Amino acid sequence: MNKLKNKCSGIDRRDFLQVGLGALGGLTLTDVLRLRAAGKASDGKDVRCIFVWLDGGPSHYETFDPKPEAPDGIRGEFGTVKTAVPGVRFSEHLPNLAKAFDTFTVVRSIAHDQNNHGAGNHYLTTGRPTPTPVGCGAFVTFHPSFGSVVSHERGLRDGLPSYVSMPQMSRSGGANFLGATHAPFVISGNPDGKGFRVRDVSIPKSISEGRAENRRALRENLDRLQRINDRAANDPAVSLDEFYEQGYRLVYSKEAQAAFDIAMEPEKTRESYGRNDFGQRLLLARRLTEVGVPFVSVYYGGWDHHTKIFETMKKTALPKLDQGMAALMTDLKQRGTLDNTLVVCLGEFGRTPKVNKDTGRDHWSFAMSVMAGGAGIPGGQIVGATDVKGYYANENVYRPEDFAASLYTKLGIDHAKLLHTPVGRPVQLVDKGRRIKELFV
Amino acid sequence: MRRNLSIYLLFALSVAGGAADLSFRNDVLPILARAGCAAGSCHAKAGGQNGFQLSIFAYDPASDYREIVHGARGRRVFPAAPDESLLLLKATQSMDHEGGRRIEPGSDFHRVLREWIAQGLPWAATNEVSLTRIEVSPGTGRYGRGAELELKVTAHYSDDSTRDVTRLAEYRSNDEAMAIVDHDGRVTLGGQSGEGVIIVRYMDQVGNARVTVPGERRLPDSAYAGLPIRNEIDKLVYARHRELGLLASGECSDSEFLRRASLDAVGKLPTPEVARDYLLDFSADKRAKLIDELLADPDWADHWAVKFGDLIRPNTQRVGVKPVYLLDGWLRRRLRENVPYDALVKELLTASGSTHQYGPVAFFRDKREPATAGAFVSRIFLGVRLDCAQCHHHPSEKWGQDDYYRFAAFFGSMKRKGQGISAPISGEPEYWWWEPGGTVRHPVTDEVMPPRPLDGVAVEIPTEKDPRSVLIDWMLTPDNPFFAKAIVNRVWGEFFGVGIVEPVDDFRESNPPSNDTLLDWLARDFVENGYDLKHLMRRILRSNVYGLSSMPNETNAADRRNNARSLRRRLPAEVMADAVASFTGTPEKWDGLPPGARAVQTWNTRMSSTFLDTFGRPDFSAECPCERDPAPTIVQSLHLMNSDELQSRLSAADGRAAALAAGDAGPEEIVRQIYLAAYARPPTVDELRVASGAFSGDGVSRQGAIEDIMWALINSAEFVFNH
Repeated sequence: MNKLKNKCSGIDRRDFLQVGLGALGGLTLTDVLRLRAAGKASDGKDVRCIFVWLDGGPSHYETFDPKPEAPDGIRGEFGTVKTAVPGVRFSEHLPNLAKAFDTFTVVRSIAHDQNNHGAGNHYLTTGRPTPTPVGCGAFVTFHPSFGSVVSHERGLRDGLPSYVSMPQMSRSGGANFLGATHAPFVISGNPDGKGFRVRDVSIPKSISEGRAENRRALRENLDRLQRINDRAANDPAVSLDEFYEQGYRLVYSKEAQAAFDIAMEPEKTRESYGRNDFGQRLLLARRLTEVGVPFVSVYYGGWDHHTKIFETMKKTALPKLDQGMAALMTDLKQRGTLDNTLVVCLGEFGRTPKVNKDTGRDHWSFAMSVMAGGAGIPGGQIVGATDVKGYYANENVYRPEDFAASLYTKLGIDHAKLLHTPVGRPVQLVDKGRRIKELFV
Repeated sequence: MRRNLSIYLLFALSVAGGAADLSFRNDVLPILARAGCAAGSCHAKAGGQNGFQLSIFAYDPASDYREIVHGARGRRVFPAAPDESLLLLKATQSMDHEGGRRIEPGSDFHRVLREWIAQGLPWAATNEVSLTRIEVSPGTGRYGRGAELELKVTAHYSDDSTRDVTRLAEYRSNDEAMAIVDHDGRVTLGGQSGEGVIIVRYMDQVGNARVTVPGERRLPDSAYAGLPIRNEIDKLVYARHRELGLLASGECSDSEFLRRASLDAVGKLPTPEVARDYLLDFSADKRAKLIDELLADPDWADHWAVKFGDLIRPNTQRVGVKPVYLLDGWLRRRLRENVPYDALVKELLTASGSTHQYGPVAFFRDKREPATAGAFVSRIFLGVRLDCAQCHHHPSEKWGQDDYYRFAAFFGSMKRKGQGISAPISGEPEYWWWEPGGTVRHPVTDEVMPPRPLDGVAVEIPTEKDPRSVLIDWMLTPDNPFFAKAIVNRVWGEFFGVGIVEPVDDFRESNPPSNDTLLDWLARDFVENGYDLKHLMRRILRSNVYGLSSMPNETNAADRRNNARSLRRRLPAEVMADAVASFTGTPEKWDGLPPGARAVQTWNTRMSSTFLDTFGRPDFSAECPCERDPAPTIVQSLHLMNSDELQSRLSAADGRAAALAAGDAGPEEIVRQIYLAAYARPPTVDELRVASGAFSGDGVSRQGAIEDIMWALINSAEFVFNH
């Protein structure tokens, strides 16, 4: 019953926090703060990732790869805007990102051959094509997602979920053979709403501090199933004790609790991200990565613009994206955490050059633009290009595997690593991935 | 390295004399395999490595030959100047090679490869022989802890010649704690007793050596004399314990048995009333009565439908909602009727009709190709993982591509009509039926593969006969080596937390059962009793070993495979959700299910539930069969500690806490009731004192105290685990 040691000895919260954090291996919240001050981690082992998923496949024309010279019927209705870098222009509806271009790179030349949502989702969120063809509407997983792999490789610490997904998991965002431990911790709900809380990480609002203390004491005194202390017995009840210790560390950690509470953010900052669900999720993602969550995925759906693409994109989709992402990049830079935070923003493919009869664009996997910043990625850089009409990526063409290899490398994970399925089959994390070298200069 | 050099020296000498006639298949490929060139992580991975691709485990020699001789515009081999061949330069790292030096310059391997190139790259020797089998010696043996032994591997060829291939074979231990093996077949046994297997692979042949380490400290017969024997299971388990020096732990308490058996058999916590009655029943046969009641409980079917559903229920996003709903309904109905297991499987595998009218057809809609259907049937119903052999020879077992495609051929003449898969809706019906015509071909040789059962002889099937019925007939022969064993092992695994063969669907010679006489007996008993699942469960539940304590004694703490104590298991997602709902008195509301429905009645994994997702329900995107991760996780603990949902269950106006608070029972009586509901036992004197103390805190309401105690119990190991 060694778990009962220290239990009733009157340690107060502050002591508990210090003991807990000091006793932990790996990085702790205090380390995080120290790192934040120092600003840089060299081997990627402490780089966190904010993965912004534009589900449906955003048009490259209307975002980062406008083609003002293309003929009518391809060019689209939008004008362009100058960016911080002379000669580079974005869609006119991304004015804030154009100004903040010094904080990120745009890769305009990722291309692949999985032209439907089911397969494209799988390819761009796991780095692997599906082994058999799947349909457009398919929700499939054949390989662990980026977030699950990062959770698996980094391990859990401080009681923090290691892979958070808001407000839902993307189709192929699951852990596959890595098991439920590495499935995403889904935070649903709208952080812009009143009374929003990150689920499960804090004591319920209706429970007072004193009552929470009573409960904790009761649990410690009443959890009497005898533990098997012989390590060889591999008693799962012993791991449970470890989880409760971590859980209490989290619940009583001021830093962690502050991070979960988006209301602590100054109103000015909240406004800068946009007072909407997406903007506030990005802000929450920043707060979560700061406290040590290694991978946060922000799902933003609705980019499958087969109809009325110009009307819908300019009305809400692009303004929200522009304001939120620009604020995130600028904020990270100002806080000195850009160097240990990788931010990527993409969907499953680009969209067709020709505007269709419904004023929409259809799926087009032969060219897509990916925004990537932080973690040492140069600002103000365009990588690769599509042809003058935007049909095909034709300069420095990269594949989703290369994107995956780059992401893993930035996070200090060997992308060529072999994982083993429960059957023992060796599976390479990324097959024949080459780093996108321009992201590593 | 030294002991087999002689063969190679002899060989090389004859090569130098120009007499030997080399063969790509028998002389060159083995060297490439042994040097690691054809490893799954190197040139044999999908797509090869740097443009050079070999087949994994050399399953396709003709393609390997083409790749070496004609690939890369012929730069890999130069018969006119063998030493300039890329194959040699890279392998010896005389030229930059990412894989490093695989072959020492001047070694026997090097000389053989060089000579083969110089001979003009012969595909076959003049009198080409084929490898028929390998022999590993010693094949079995009993050894002491820490013993060392050397294996010898002999290849046998079609002309009855043999060759010592010890230095060319690959070795792997199935359990590193039992034995480790080096590159050259030298085995060192570990420090524990039990059975280990060394898997030996040479080209497309697999053999193995079994090593048995008897318990060092055998216990005297008297140690076993007093152990209760309730049925044959106990005798067979104890017999194994004797061999291994294990002794069963003592029996668990009545409360533990009641809770354990209820959770395992019907997925429910016993109600306080049931618990009280059981504990106050002093009749000798109360356990047997309880077991009969559990097996007759109408909820039995739903609990087992979740388990079978994990195996056969397709992704609704793939085959459509209606087919899955119908399949689920069919499964639950058949389980409620307790149809014999053989009839259940037969009905599923021989189904025809509309996916929108008859549930089992969903299986064919999902496993659309003969190969996927075959691999699935083999794994789920025969416990044999043939999947590997789709692309290459199974790495640790005898199964090859022939076996795979010949088994698939039983499904080779299925016909379909209709729209097919159009995810995510797949809304239109599809019709599946059997009709003569249609074949399965070998992907490498393109030969037509006549149907052949596993380990069986090819069967002649008259054209007017559905091959599926022939397959079923074979599966249902009473002495079928796979069918009954696979299911009894699965069921055993559900009740004990570990199969007799583990993983439960991975039967192979190189993964032996922990107790083969027990497995044989269970399978025979199951068949003799009409494939009755409830009969099997009754046998298990009535055994003494099912009712052992989970606390170890000095012999069995480290043992997980031999049922010498009960293993603690986290409640599975649906059972846990239902346990929390029943304990708090707040039934869950499920979309599309009637009020009061339980989590074990949810029929697809897309039905929204944070609780079920947190506790490891399969990912709805996954293609089943779905493995569940049984481990407890931090996220689960956080959910039980902090979730608003749990708090609202505790404080619900119509929940258990409110009812207890509104009643006139005193604190001690309330605590007693809570303990019965959570743990199926009364509190100890000390627990009663501590828990009742919750009522007397400052500013604590009566209901608040009850909620707090209930919260504490839900968050305890005794609740979360079946123990």
